[in-house]
Amino acid sequence: MKMIHIKNSLLLAVMALAFNSCKKDFGNLNNPTVEDFLANASQSQLNNLVSGTESGMRTSMAFYIDDVGTIGREGYRFSGSEPRYVTDLLGFNSGTLSNSNFYIATPWSARYRVIKNCNVLIEAATNSTLITEPQRKAYTGFAKTIKAYQLLLNLNLTYTNGVRVDVNDPDNLGPVLNYDQSLTAIITLLNSGKTDLTGSAVSFPLAGFAGLSDAAGLVKFNRALAARVAVYQEDWDAAQTALDESFLDPAGDFNAGVYHTFGTGSGDQLNPMFIPQNTNGETRVAHPSFATDINPGDDRINKATLRNTTASLSGLSSDRDVWVYKSSTAPIALIRNEELILLSAEVSLQNGALPAATTALNIIRGGHGLSPYSGASTEDALLTELLTQRRYSLFYEGHRWIDLRRYNRLDELPIDRGGDDVWVLFPLPLTEE
Amino acid sequence: MKNYLLMISLLLLMTTVMAQTKTITGVITGPDKQPASNVNISVTQSTAGTVTNTAGRFSITVSPPATLVISATGYRTVTFPVTTSTAEISISLEEDVARLDEVVVTGLATNVKRRNLANAVATISARELNGIAPAQTFDAALNGKITGAYINANSGAPGGGISVKLRGVTSVFGNTQPLYVLDGVFVDNSSTSGGLNVVTNASGSATTSSQDNPSSRIADIRPEDIENIEILKGASAAAIYGSKAAAGVVIITTKKGKAGKTRVSVSQDLGLIEARKLLGAREFNGDRAAGLSSDPATSTALRAQFEAAKAAGKIFDYEKEIYGNTGFARNTVASLSGGNEKTGFYLSASQKDEEGIVKKTGYRNTSVRLNLDHRINDNIKISVSSNYINSSADRGFNGNDNAGVTLGIALSSTPSFAQLHPDEFGNYPANPFAASNPLQTIALMKNNEAVNRFINGFNLEAILQKNNKSTTSFIGRGGVDFYNLATTVLFPSELQFQAINKGTSIQGNTRSLSTNYILSLVNVFNVSEQLALTTSAGLTRETGNYNNILNIATQVISGQSNVDQAGASNATQFRTKYQNEGVFVQEEALIADAIILTGGVRFDRSSNNGDATKYYAYPKAGVSWNLTRMGIIPQTFVNDLKLRAAFGQANNVPAYGSKFTSLVVSNINGNPGSIVSVQQGQPGIKPERQSEFETGVDFTVLNGRMSFQLTYYTKKITDFLMQASLPSSSGFTSKWVNAGDLRNRGVELGMSARPVSNRDLVWNTTLNFWKNRSTVTRLDIPSTPQGSFGYVLGSFQIEEGKSATQILGLNGRGVGLLGDAEPKFQMNTYNDITFRNRLSLRFLVHLKAGGQNINLTSLQNDFGMTSKDFDVIGNEAGLPNGIYRISKVGTTAEEFVQNSGYMRLREIGLYYSFTKLPLSYLRGVRVGVSLNNWWTITKYKSYDPEVSNFGTGFSTGVDVLPYPAVKRASFHLTIDL
Repeated sequence: MKMIHIKNSLLLAVMALAFNSCKKDFGNLNNPTVEDFLANASQSQLNNLVSGTESGMRTSMAFYIDDVGTIGREGYRFSGSEPRYVTDLLGFNSGTLSNSNFYIATPWSARYRVIKNCNVLIEAATNSTLITEPQRKAYTGFAKTIKAYQLLLNLNLTYTNGVRVDVNDPDNLGPVLNYDQSLTAIITLLNSGKTDLTGSAVSFPLAGFAGLSDAAGLVKFNRALAARVAVYQEDWDAAQTALDESFLDPAGDFNAGVYHTFGTGSGDQLNPMFIPQNTNGETRVAHPSFATDINPGDDRINKATLRNTTASLSGLSSDRDVWVYKSSTAPIALIRNEELILLSAEVSLQNGALPAATTALNIIRGGHGLSPYSGASTEDALLTELLTQRRYSLFYEGHRWIDLRRYNRLDELPIDRGGDDVWVLFPLPLTEE
Repeated sequence: MKNYLLMISLLLLMTTVMAQTKTITGVITGPDKQPASNVNISVTQSTAGTVTNTAGRFSITVSPPATLVISATGYRTVTFPVTTSTAEISISLEEDVARLDEVVVTGLATNVKRRNLANAVATISARELNGIAPAQTFDAALNGKITGAYINANSGAPGGGISVKLRGVTSVFGNTQPLYVLDGVFVDNSSTSGGLNVVTNASGSATTSSQDNPSSRIADIRPEDIENIEILKGASAAAIYGSKAAAGVVIITTKKGKAGKTRVSVSQDLGLIEARKLLGAREFNGDRAAGLSSDPATSTALRAQFEAAKAAGKIFDYEKEIYGNTGFARNTVASLSGGNEKTGFYLSASQKDEEGIVKKTGYRNTSVRLNLDHRINDNIKISVSSNYINSSADRGFNGNDNAGVTLGIALSSTPSFAQLHPDEFGNYPANPFAASNPLQTIALMKNNEAVNRFINGFNLEAILQKNNKSTTSFIGRGGVDFYNLATTVLFPSELQFQAINKGTSIQGNTRSLSTNYILSLVNVFNVSEQLALTTSAGLTRETGNYNNILNIATQVISGQSNVDQAGASNATQFRTKYQNEGVFVQEEALIADAIILTGGVRFDRSSNNGDATKYYAYPKAGVSWNLTRMGIIPQTFVNDLKLRAAFGQANNVPAYGSKFTSLVVSNINGNPGSIVSVQQGQPGIKPERQSEFETGVDFTVLNGRMSFQLTYYTKKITDFLMQASLPSSSGFTSKWVNAGDLRNRGVELGMSARPVSNRDLVWNTTLNFWKNRSTVTRLDIPSTPQGSFGYVLGSFQIEEGKSATQILGLNGRGVGLLGDAEPKFQMNTYNDITFRNRLSLRFLVHLKAGGQNINLTSLQNDFGMTSKDFDVIGNEAGLPNGIYRISKVGTTAEEFVQNSGYMRLREIGLYYSFTKLPLSYLRGVRVGVSLNNWWTITKYKSYDPEVSNFGTGFSTGVDVLPYPAVKRASFHLTIDL
């Protein structure tokens, strides 16, 4: 009896010790959490979100540009380790685009990740009591503009499969909108961003917005994007208005605009589109038609330089490297003046102002060492000319496939191997279904 | 902590004083009437003990009345009452093939004889572990030896890296690997990437990925020091280990010094290591060379290149040059053990140095161990085990890669007529067929893991109270496992693929500290002759603190590797910290030495759980009923028949950080940026819980010369942890969720026998069969492909109602079932044949029937147009195989999901012990030769069916140009003084 008593008391002592020991929850040792930012963000926290947003926009851009560039037959991405660039994307044999593979899943999620960050930025700025009202408007206006741009890139891939616009609550996502609804949502978002930005006070640093990093500059950038979207919507008047409010400068530097910048700094990224010339194994080469279709004297031939040896893979070959991004820190354009000039040509053309369209096109031609346009002054001929100029001016900036799709001209793209296909759109990622 | 120390001191003071003593001597003989050495003599209700010498003699001091327990592995245990009149005793031991009298650890502080176990606990002896054909690392030495386990080596890279899954998959994305407990210390078995993903981009632009093929830290342990291993395969046996036991527990006990003459043992192994298999390469001719390009001009040039190479005799077998190195291996172990009645010690020092099959790869391990046991008095015993390990593994550069830089990927597109050798100045030419020149890569790169590790265990046992009926003791056990891991990844700027980064140097530094302790009270109460109760209760705590810093430098100054010698640098840091606390009670009742009832419960909480303060309860219960001992079945043909059943629960805590939605750093132009992590936090995350029921029957026949163990189990994992794929439009791609339930069911059938036992020949044999089937019984989240590369190439997918390890993929008509990673069944047989006590032949054969791998190695070789059978026409389409197989990509993945069954002669060794020795101080000399993994029969079409591109997690068996598996031949010499 006594023994049992001792035993029980010891047991109790042991139990008591265990239950009394202090409670442990170590928190997040590695990063800030979203809740930290939503509570009452300081200006520097908000600026961290802005920079994270600008930085995140670059992530997986190479997949996007290769998707558009490969299907649009601007070139090929040869990879010894990743056959799907030359199989799935080109429709090799009876292959199709998969809804679970990297070419759609990776860029799609990278864009929505930025959108999430923008939503956190909007909520954090709205909750913050440590900033002025004009400062708050700059944060929200910037975030809305970037959100719209990110949605547009995904919509460009999935086209009539649409995108999801209402994604603020991760546990209760809005519906996938169709193509027209999505474009409307994007332009609405841009307009709302413009409203916020107008008269706001920008108190955050930006990297790739040379000359456009203040409130007025951001409005111009916002309008440049709006012009592109309006053209996609074939809303030519809205496009013209937007162009007028953008940084369009027919006499200005073609390259003026907004860029993704890259750097070797800690936590920064290198340009994933850069591959040195004459590399083997991992190369990005121009489609052979790039050189055969180009006008003699066009300086844009330098965007695809001759290789020492022809690169080939899986029945495809090319003797020219894509040479648009010439170093690992070369920037990638979001939108630049040359595209705006081309958009203004397109708007004029569609409004029936053929001389104005020709003038704009000649600015482009002249800028690249070509004589003024001397072809037929018909709408059809000028449209072909416009698409040609867009093809060479915006080579490997993510446009040709979308341009030909807009004008139902995908059937003009060359088929290199029997059984290859020109895809019209990507399936929605598997996780969205 | 202060409180506990105080408590321990109090307990020590409470111990009773020694009574009158008497010295007993005796002699023990074996069944053949020869003296039996190394037999353990212990005294019940006391910590005293000794062993017999070579003449079978012993001497021990006891306080009569007492009971001596005489035990030795392979023999039945004998108890002998000692009275004041006892002087000299003489005992003859009987054989025990089923090892029924072996003592097995079942609780945190208690153990029972195998005879009375309610679970099928697998045991690996020192001889089985390391005495057949020693493997390079501890984890590799387990392979093929555990009934009920699916063990798979990730690759042949030096330094190990092995997945051990006990009784099927116990988690999907949580921890699938068992807990390793070394002399009471919970040993860290994490794998830390050195940052290879920076160079390979295998998982996008992240710094590290699951495809970096790091080794598992359990590989540091030296098998030579191990006395025995017990494997608790599921929760029914392991529940008392609580939060860390869901994937099973591997209990490792190292060697201890025994009273008697000091023994010195020195052994030296010399060996050779070679690739198990090479695939061979396509034989080129002019036409085939020309066919590498579709461009007419290039074709012509390639043809000319081939003709020129052929004329100059410069056609090479690059696969052989890269993987064909014969590695030299040496291993030296010196040990010293001995002691007296009070103190025992075991000291060992060992070093091994092994080269790999790729030049400049290899493994080196230096280890020093000191185990000390000391009896302060009859009632208090302390033991300390301390181990210092220094290991270094140069692991090479293989596996998946999206940059064309690993050896395998580069080789896959390099034809035999490529010219890759350095010129007279030592400059390597660029490989025109790939992004890298693999010969240059081997010559200039470095991928090293260097570990300095201390593992220290402490054990205190004190008898607090004893009388005729009851003994109460305190057992305190714990330890510290600390290591520093330095990873060095170096790719100098001269390398062909370093044109962008101009040299990459990644220096990693990892500090890991794990501690644990178990404090328990055990009371053994002999209520009557027919009933004994063992009560134990205690508390446990485990902590972990892990800190990994990776410094990534690019634009590295030529010839330098320090991260400051660079034009650009980047750093990442990752920390985890956890604390688990538990309380347990356990009651065992032994009725008539024939029925054992066990019940226990552990309450556990963990800082990793969503609610860190909440205790989760893990009960266990077991019953074993020995029918022959009860006399229900007469002891005629059947000697020992036992029915048993056990139930238990254990859990697996969520991964650190599962509950947070973090913002990760993403900078631009010097502006510090924060971006939302792709993993959504799950504040309500719970541990996953495993409930296992196991039942079986064990019996021996023919006077214990043959024994059978038959087991059936079913274990259910509820709320299994999974990284659910989210609609990525949410901004997140995944979050940890308690996604569903899955169930494993299986059988384990074992037979061990001694078919022949006479003075000339003793043959011991075991034969085991086991199979497991899993079913996902509930899945709350949408089912998505995961753990591989999507349907086009074949992918795992968790789906309700289906096997957890099923492989789905395109099948020509859509997406369908292509295979399952789970083997159909496995078998092994271990045989130990000893002639005249001198010559011993031992071998282990392992059969894995069925189970599929996702073989992308042959696909890559087809894409590179270098596969050996590329031009062979052997398909319905009448095309060359290589062309045909590529043409199937995008339509069907059947080609890649291949049966990975095999039959392997895992280990075979022949040893001879010299008995007539020229020098008096020589106690023994043994020589031996052995072969490890030498012969394999398989239809699998890659280097080896054992492979895992994704390391040791859920999705093993994905084959992407791994470091080829190796085999080894060794010579052994052991001298005992």
